[in-house]
Amino acid sequence: MFENILLGIGPLLSVNMLIAIAGGVTGGVLIGVLPGLTSTMGIALLIPITFSMPPEVGLAMLGGIYLASTYSGAISGILLNIPGTPAAVATLLDGYPMTQKGQSTKALALATFGSCIGGLISVVALLFIAPPLAEFSLRFGSPEYFLLAVFGITVIASLSGEDVEKGLIAGIFGLLLSTVGNHPLTGFMRFTYDIPALFDGIPLVVSLIGLYSIPEVIDMLTRRKSGEKIKLNLDESNPLRFFPEVISQKVNLIRSSLIGIAVGIIPGVGCSVGGFLSYDAAKRSSKKPEEFGKGSTAGVLASETANNAVTGGTLIPLLTLGVPGNPVTAVLLGGIMIHGLRPGAELFTTNADIVYSFILSLFISNLLFVPVGLFMAKYCVRLIQIPRSILAPAIMAMAVIGSYAIRGSMEDVWIMLFIGFCGFVMHFFAVPRAPMVLGLVLGTMAEGELSRSLSLIHGDVGAFLIQLVTRPISLVILILCILSLVQGIRQQIKKNSVYEN
Amino acid sequence: MIRNNVRGFNVFSRMLVMAAVTSLSIALTAGQSLAKYPEKPISMIVAYSPGGGTDTAARVVAKYVQPYLGKRLIIQNKPGAGGQIGFTSLAQAKTDGYRIGFINSPSIVMVKMLRDNVPYEMSDFEPIANIQLDPVVLVVKADSPYKTLADLVEDAKKNPGKINVGGDGPQSNNQLQLIVAEDKLGVDLNFVPYNGSGPAITSLLGGQVDAAVPSATSATTHINNGRLRALGVFSPESYKYLPGVPTIKEATGVDIPSVGAASRGIAAPKGISAEHKAFLTKAFADVMKDKGFVEQADKMGLPLKYMNPAEYSAYLEQAAAEAKKYIHLMK
Repeated sequence: MFENILLGIGPLLSVNMLIAIAGGVTGGVLIGVLPGLTSTMGIALLIPITFSMPPEVGLAMLGGIYLASTYSGAISGILLNIPGTPAAVATLLDGYPMTQKGQSTKALALATFGSCIGGLISVVALLFIAPPLAEFSLRFGSPEYFLLAVFGITVIASLSGEDVEKGLIAGIFGLLLSTVGNHPLTGFMRFTYDIPALFDGIPLVVSLIGLYSIPEVIDMLTRRKSGEKIKLNLDESNPLRFFPEVISQKVNLIRSSLIGIAVGIIPGVGCSVGGFLSYDAAKRSSKKPEEFGKGSTAGVLASETANNAVTGGTLIPLLTLGVPGNPVTAVLLGGIMIHGLRPGAELFTTNADIVYSFILSLFISNLLFVPVGLFMAKYCVRLIQIPRSILAPAIMAMAVIGSYAIRGSMEDVWIMLFIGFCGFVMHFFAVPRAPMVLGLVLGTMAEGELSRSLSLIHGDVGAFLIQLVTRPISLVILILCILSLVQGIRQQIKKNSVYEN
Repeated sequence: MIRNNVRGFNVFSRMLVMAAVTSLSIALTAGQSLAKYPEKPISMIVAYSPGGGTDTAARVVAKYVQPYLGKRLIIQNKPGAGGQIGFTSLAQAKTDGYRIGFINSPSIVMVKMLRDNVPYEMSDFEPIANIQLDPVVLVVKADSPYKTLADLVEDAKKNPGKINVGGDGPQSNNQLQLIVAEDKLGVDLNFVPYNGSGPAITSLLGGQVDAAVPSATSATTHINNGRLRALGVFSPESYKYLPGVPTIKEATGVDIPSVGAASRGIAAPKGISAEHKAFLTKAFADVMKDKGFVEQADKMGLPLKYMNPAEYSAYLEQAAAEAKKYIHLMK
């Protein structure tokens, strides 16, 4: 194996390779910052360009886009409260409050260093323990996925801020929206009103754009005359001075990375869930949970470290088994196959030079988005000082173009505006929006996997319930669900009693 | 007088020359514009998301057909609703020769049959060329007790409805193929839909289902590296990239129509001019013989299958007729 790693270093040192990585990372950062442009789209559109490149160079470029765009969704999230990619939704919870306090540079620095560290740790996992982890990922069947979705939904309380009740309302609204579209097993259309754009369900990225940008635009317009600007603490303009603070949170970094890697390995879960679960874990184990949602450094770090740790995790089943875990890696698989490479154990032996130089290139990409991101961030922080009467229409235009561009469909713009209106109502009543995203993401998974589990066991509900406790992995997740709920309820009771006193 | 005459002639002759030049240049440009279709890039609607199997195939074709078209072929993704959005937009596209589409059968006929109010008819399309044909393959895990298709059929007869078969779905070409096979073989299997052939294969690799019916392109790698065993391919002839795998007829002795095989080809909206159609037909026929294209397709494992407009139209009609016979079993 070590000789293979050495074999991979050779191609890595060529100028072409480094240019490809730099191009991929820079493009990826831009794609991630703009809501509506997703990693999947960026990679898909670039695959034809990689045709004519040697495979290791093409793959390194695609890898750079994937890692950089997963990270840079945080930039627009932190500065404007609009997530650039779904992965950044949990980052907003504390990132935007930090911006409001004038600490945007600090928040961006935390996100950048956290993403880099999470990404690096996950690539180490990919390099050294990929094959056994990949085999483990196959043991997840429908019952496990169902429980995993339920477990994800139990973190709603952590995402809710002050009012758990409001968080639950938002979560249930998200779950309700997730039932729109065809039934995952029968294809029966629900709440689609003969609108083809709704047949596949409410599109996630489109609804994220509406949910976060429309309320922001309305908010800006109502306050356009007031001269107050978001202050920018210029003494803190050097992002590098926050590095020691990042490193001091060792436990948080390692825990978040491990959660991210685990979520990544399990096919079909994805970066945003990694961020949510890690944020929840950080809040629960924090000595100062009351700081979360108000600009906690640990919160930003947890979410960003985890969502980038997912990237290395998703590549494990992809490269060792040819099993893509999320839309981005499914597209990457196409990019790998286009070069005539076939994922699997033999990829690591017959094409060892290519695959190892690809993996090693990910280290470089993870390191490279730090200067690129910080450089961009240096100028992006000025965004928040643009007069609202200019910024609001610009965001509105971007929201419309972004939601149209995804599928070239005007219906998606209407969906974006509808969800945006819902978001405004929620914002007005101070209902948190993150639980709704969680409901929308996990509702489809919970419903689909539950009905698939029941189909696999021929409709026998009793046998299904027995299965949940007799399958070892499902039992572990079930226990985690129960612990999560018990702790959540207990904290709530404690909080209520504090209020009463 | 003479000077005047000369001047007059001069003016007249100048006008004559100018008129001649003008008319000649008009004639030339008119001639050029007829000969020079396409004058600008042609856009091709793909009814699936960027990066999927259909999209990747379309992009490879687009790259290699460019020298034959003389202009770029630009992919326009219109994904959603199982292809309905993209197919509809092709059916309603302008017929100026600059809008064509990549269509998938039997999906395009199944969408029409399974749903109400689908705003296109099969007669809205003008088939140009079929590019590839991707059959469905029946696979089990390498350590499965089913060594042959006969083993599986025998077990299915003993335990009707108990064998779980994963596949792309619901209402996919893969499910249609399985339903037709069940009908012809007289067995009852439990089809479990996954979000695509990929996830269905994953669940088979993990032993969550007993068998799967993915598309041959997505299963080939796993079959060739020994993790999966193919029991039969739903195709009248053996599949190029799986030489040892029997066809379904060889495996069962029963004639099972390969209705689920996914064909991907080029079509224009009906009403495109005869010259444009002829030009496009030639360009796509030529690219199918292009050495670079064939090599690239081979490297990617794309099963190429050229059909000219007449053959392709007949194929689509037959696919629609076959699908119609069994579609009621899916509703």
